Amino acid sequence: MTAEVAPQPHAHAPTGEGYLTHERGLKSWLFTLDHKRIGLMYLGSVLLAFLLGGIMALLVRAELLFPGETLMEADTYNQVFTLHGAIMVFLFIIPSIPAALGNFFLPIMLGTKDVAFPRLNLGSFYIYCLGAIVAIVAIVIGHVDTGWTFYTPYSARADSSVIWMTSGAFILGFSSILTGVNFIATVHKMRAPGLHWKRLPLFIWGMYATSVIQVLATPVLAITLFLLMMEKTLTVGIFDPALGGDPVLFQHFFWFYSHPAVYIMILPGMAIVNEVIATFSHRKIFGYMFVAMSSISLALVGFLVWGHHMFTAGMSEYATMVFSALTFLVAIPSGVKVFNWVATLYQGSISFKSPMLYSLGFIALFTIGGLTGLFLGILSVDIHLHDTYFVVAHFHYVMVGGTVFGFVSGLHYWWPKMTGKMYSEKLARVAFVFVFVGFNVTFFSQFVLGSQGMPRRYYDYLDQFQPLHMTSSGGAFILGFGFLIMLFMFVKSLVSGEKAPPNPWSSAGYEWMTTTPIHPHNFAEPPVMTRGPYDYHLCTEEELFPGFPEDFKPSEKAAKA
Amino acid sequence: MDENNLPEGTLQLPPQWSTLAPEVDEMYYFIYWVSVAFTVVIFAAMIYFMWKYRRRPGLKAKPTGHSTALEIGWTFAPLILLVVLFHQGFTGYVRGAVAPEDSIEVRVRGMQWNWEFEHRGGVIDDLNYLRVPVNTPVRLIMSSSDVLHSFFVPAFRVKRDVVPGMYSTLWFEATQETPDIQCESDADCPEGLWCGNTPPGGEARECVLPIFCAEYCGAPRGITASAFDEGGRNTNHSTMMGDLKVITQAEYDEFIELGPPPPASCQGRDDINECWGEQIHQSYCVACHSVDGATQAPAPNWKGLFGNQRQFVDGSSATADENYIRQSILQPQSQIVQGYNNVNMPPFRFSDRQLDAIIAYMRSLNE
Repeated sequence: MTAEVAPQPHAHAPTGEGYLTHERGLKSWLFTLDHKRIGLMYLGSVLLAFLLGGIMALLVRAELLFPGETLMEADTYNQVFTLHGAIMVFLFIIPSIPAALGNFFLPIMLGTKDVAFPRLNLGSFYIYCLGAIVAIVAIVIGHVDTGWTFYTPYSARADSSVIWMTSGAFILGFSSILTGVNFIATVHKMRAPGLHWKRLPLFIWGMYATSVIQVLATPVLAITLFLLMMEKTLTVGIFDPALGGDPVLFQHFFWFYSHPAVYIMILPGMAIVNEVIATFSHRKIFGYMFVAMSSISLALVGFLVWGHHMFTAGMSEYATMVFSALTFLVAIPSGVKVFNWVATLYQGSISFKSPMLYSLGFIALFTIGGLTGLFLGILSVDIHLHDTYFVVAHFHYVMVGGTVFGFVSGLHYWWPKMTGKMYSEKLARVAFVFVFVGFNVTFFSQFVLGSQGMPRRYYDYLDQFQPLHMTSSGGAFILGFGFLIMLFMFVKSLVSGEKAPPNPWSSAGYEWMTTTPIHPHNFAEPPVMTRGPYDYHLCTEEELFPGFPEDFKPSEKAAKA
Repeated sequence: MDENNLPEGTLQLPPQWSTLAPEVDEMYYFIYWVSVAFTVVIFAAMIYFMWKYRRRPGLKAKPTGHSTALEIGWTFAPLILLVVLFHQGFTGYVRGAVAPEDSIEVRVRGMQWNWEFEHRGGVIDDLNYLRVPVNTPVRLIMSSSDVLHSFFVPAFRVKRDVVPGMYSTLWFEATQETPDIQCESDADCPEGLWCGNTPPGGEARECVLPIFCAEYCGAPRGITASAFDEGGRNTNHSTMMGDLKVITQAEYDEFIELGPPPPASCQGRDDINECWGEQIHQSYCVACHSVDGATQAPAPNWKGLFGNQRQFVDGSSATADENYIRQSILQPQSQIVQGYNNVNMPPFRFSDRQLDAIIAYMRSLNE
């Protein structure tokens, strides 16, 4: 067969308007029930939050270029790092992949028209907006300098805008819960015919595990923040010892949510890496069922290890022992994922397009982030490293090197499907080099800072730490510059990008079977899944390489030549 | 102390000054090399596969097989390593958690943003300054009067949160005295030491081990640099640092008997007591008591106070002599001067030598 006659997948789909253009006007967006449009609105919001949080990060790093005052006074610095943490965690990372990319692709990958409860989906977006507005009001009117963890009794005694900020997080939590409920129902009830559990794309498995945590853990955050508000407004003694409360209780409550939340953040990143590695290696993920179950077991074990944030906080030695032992269990499913990803590359056909670069970057950085987690699980070593820059470096390797790299990988991967436009691969690769190098310079130096004893959340520091702080700040600016290039690249794509083919990466994934631009109902006719999403050996070349040049195709003829 | 024989740090870890440190470091380097091994193997496999199976014309991916043996293997094999890591870490932790029975005890009070240390017999060390004897286990009993703090000495590899409403403890045994070196900046000090807090006199800093506050505790508005306030106190979380001085047992015994010695900047001067008294005033008293003879708020001005006749709220009166001053410091509520009913000065505990110095300084203000 030749390229000219290669049929588009689902050539019978109507060539009518895509989901972006079939209705127009502001109202068609604000009242849309289409999960794709809601996903895009989420995407815009989380990217805005990422920009804000990123600016805060650069302010923090700029202040730390030199000891003493560089840009701002101590109190301002404390507010800036608090906002960096709070914005990045609550407004960006937690909703980033599930609410934006998950919302967009979960129904498509299930071969269905929409999520189970479209109105609830729109509702959770508006709840997110409300939460974000309340949080931003707190920033504008007030003085929030507690750190994103809101530890008592400091937060109980601080300015009243802490109430606003925690109310914001409280409201955002409900958005998260509703999205989780929606996804669980959708995965259980709305799968296309032929799409049984063993064919479920690993992205869906990841989203499913994430949703379970969102539904089970987020209410605890709501309870905690509610108690904090009660304490502040009604002076009921719950956490503040001056009122008869227990400050360590707050830490238990807080981490009971926030540790599982770490998996709300990382599981979706891993989920995207599964898709990208499979597509760009042209191979089913090695050990599919083990990878799927590792997501579920991470979600479950994640509930049992919150105490490892509190090894120096004054728990009993017995509790400390149990939490340390359970913490090591987390390493097992994490290791299983990494090993299986690497094994997937073996005997694949690996293409190094920009989404793949970010996913390979994810594996490398997550490996470092995960192994440094072992340092912190070992009790005697954690005592030294706790609350130092070592911890800061560790969680940035997991949250940025992991989740953000996964998110960016997914954004590059699905961009042509979402927007119908291609982007400049060259610019994307240049941005990747800056982001990858900048990230490592920024955070690798922080491992050494921390093991040498530099505590976190310090406005000022000893002279001996200055060279490493300066290195770290330098890296942060490289990283920031990389993201600027990426922003330019995506904007350029929107303005003048080439029209994207329906399957630019020659993927066997279900989401690539539909047309580009995507039909408002995802598929013109409800699809029937006759093969798994990674069954490359069952796909025809025409399915995988629509419109690709002949010599690109690994056909039998070319193989002989 | 021999300055050429101090412990040295490594690229990753600061020098070891406690009996716990070698064990912690051994564990650190064990997990470090395990991590390096894993990283090298994973990265090498990745890079090799990336090169070997790069997409090129004619190369077709082989369908993924599956190997349950391999999956089970790499699921459970790491478990053995993890059990070892947990066990080693836990035994090390228990050793650090249980203080030896012959430990001496020091009471530590954290407050925004200073450390106060009280030794046995009620001897209070200089603010943010902790003396401990070498080769003796020391147990700290810590509390906070406001928010969370955390007592952290990197050179000892110890850290413990200091929590309001409860006591927390930690112990250490220093293995070496800190050298007596005067300094102007951290660069003058050997590795692992810092040029300590500025004494109230503003001179003669010395190289000591840093004590950090590792739990975020905030900052007031309007603090721009790592400055101290007028009383020589620290002003925010990042400057809530203490000086840790390791001394010989004999020096420690003398310190317990006599209280803190006069600051180095006053030693050798003819007016050593007046100089010392002025520094104590700067550390503890200046916030309420002026010495310029003008302002009288919130507490009596010291200039012209000594030898003055004092009228108390109960109608009695007394001359401000040495005994009056001593009692006013140790038990301020016992005799309240008219007009100062609402001041509520807290009792201070000073050694006899410190009280002498304060009285000498007060007398010198009248000259």
